[in-house]
Amino acid sequence: MAGVALKDWKEKIRDPKIECMSRDEMSALQSGRLVQQVKNVYENVEFYRKKMDEIGVEPGDIKGIEDIGKLPFTTKEDLRDNYPFGLLAVPQEKIARVQGTSGTTGKLTLASYTQNDVDVWGECVARGLTMAGLTEADRIHVCYGYGLFTGGMGLDLGAKALGAMAIPMSSGNTKRQLMCMEDFKATAFACTPSYALYLAEAAQEAGIVDRLQIKASINGAEPWTDEMRKKIEGILHINSFDIYGLCEITGPGVAMDCIHHKGLHVYEDYFYPEILNPGDDTPCADRETGELVFTTLAKEGMPLIRYRTKDLTSIEYSTCECGRTLPRIQKFTGRTDDMKVIRGVNVFPTQVETALLSMGGGVAPHYLMIVERENNLDVLTVMVEVDERYFSDEIRKLDELKNKVGAALKQALGVSARVKLVEPKTIERSEGKAKRVIDKRDL
Amino acid sequence: MIRQLSVFVENKPGSLMDVTSRLTEAHINIRAVASFDTPEFGILRLVVDKPAEAKGCLTEKGFVVRLHDVIGVELEDKKGNLNQMLAILAEGRINVNYIYSFVIREGKAPVLVFSTDDYEGAAQILKDAGVKMVEESDL
Repeated sequence: MAGVALKDWKEKIRDPKIECMSRDEMSALQSGRLVQQVKNVYENVEFYRKKMDEIGVEPGDIKGIEDIGKLPFTTKEDLRDNYPFGLLAVPQEKIARVQGTSGTTGKLTLASYTQNDVDVWGECVARGLTMAGLTEADRIHVCYGYGLFTGGMGLDLGAKALGAMAIPMSSGNTKRQLMCMEDFKATAFACTPSYALYLAEAAQEAGIVDRLQIKASINGAEPWTDEMRKKIEGILHINSFDIYGLCEITGPGVAMDCIHHKGLHVYEDYFYPEILNPGDDTPCADRETGELVFTTLAKEGMPLIRYRTKDLTSIEYSTCECGRTLPRIQKFTGRTDDMKVIRGVNVFPTQVETALLSMGGGVAPHYLMIVERENNLDVLTVMVEVDERYFSDEIRKLDELKNKVGAALKQALGVSARVKLVEPKTIERSEGKAKRVIDKRDL
Repeated sequence: MIRQLSVFVENKPGSLMDVTSRLTEAHINIRAVASFDTPEFGILRLVVDKPAEAKGCLTEKGFVVRLHDVIGVELEDKKGNLNQMLAILAEGRINVNYIYSFVIREGKAPVLVFSTDDYEGAAQILKDAGVKMVEESDL
């Protein structure tokens, strides 16, 4: 299929009332929802009641969205401390599903959804699919993983809300993906951008690009560049779109970019974004870079107040050429911590450390993670310094050790890693905080 | 009994020389050397005149070193001698992890070094069969 040139593009907007709302109207909508949500969490979530009492804030102090700065933050550590169901604002029986993502240590970060939350999630993804030019007539091939990871389910819910056909492929097995894509006449596909490029090149190599009916791809869950997007678009002759989300807030569908690719439109009627200066948490000016913080204005199951994403970006409030007034967050410039997104999975060095503890000896060895891109796919190599405690005189025992570490890493991270045993003291020590990750990907 | 040094080395240019140059600096005499490698790393095994001292000096330089008891047997340079010795071990159900030889012993018979998990058993079987084992002091 041919990608549509910008001049020929006909913008479709699923919910113009919301997506093109004036700033004043949006503020009023957000204010009403925030006041309600703060009252809700104060009454129903012990964690928030304590936090607000500690800093002397009562629900009555929050009169509108302009008061959001008075509220306490929520961090990933708070989610861990209240794992799995400590932050619910509704009785357990109202929870319709859970989704999860990796935590900073061994445990998952778990999010709980009521049926309403699931519906809102689907609605938000459907807005994004519409933004990508898709309608109920489309067939959406989802090669995000289905499971606790929000990717597969999120796009599936979006297709359902849109009334389109979902092809729930899940990830892996590229040959089969391409066969189904062709046979089922998929008109759009969704996966991580790196896998999209991998698929595109595989389709090109197999000489089947002309037989595909794909016109759009929806790609997210990991950072990518405009160059990468143009490459995917160029090979498959399609339009590609960037979708953003995080499990804690809802999953994919928190924000998505339109054909103008001038940032990702945030569905701020549900997810209120703030950009804060990393030093002092004061609000950044428009277009100034800071940490992205979200408040879920209407979430029922596990509402989060001022959740720190640790992603660094800026926000732009001017009306977009597509007609939407929804603000746009820019591509992320980095993180306030050392989390890496590898093949769509969040990976923390602390998880690697925990896994390496399984080598015995009580202390994790010195290690370094190297993230690279080979054939458009992320590859993680973990270099581990051998030390006397687990050095063996025999190659086969060292090989066993290597495999054991590899298996422990795979289990802890959810992505496979190459293990490379290196001589002691060969991994560079940096002054102060140890450098645990080298990212060689050009993102 | 012979104490052998095992040193972890990465499979890259100069890594073996790094080890031998440290030992040379410390005036340690290398009697035998063998290396076993994979695409990424290897184990350098050494028999030296002063094993404890050698371990200390390499550890100090940041190498991972282990001292490992191995068995050294004297084998005259005659047809079938190695086979005969291995047959004795096989009959005694002794598993040999690895084996290497060294010959330079100023006029004495060549020595064969091997490693086994059942060190005691192997020593007894060889002793009973009349095979001459070499001690560190004989090297």
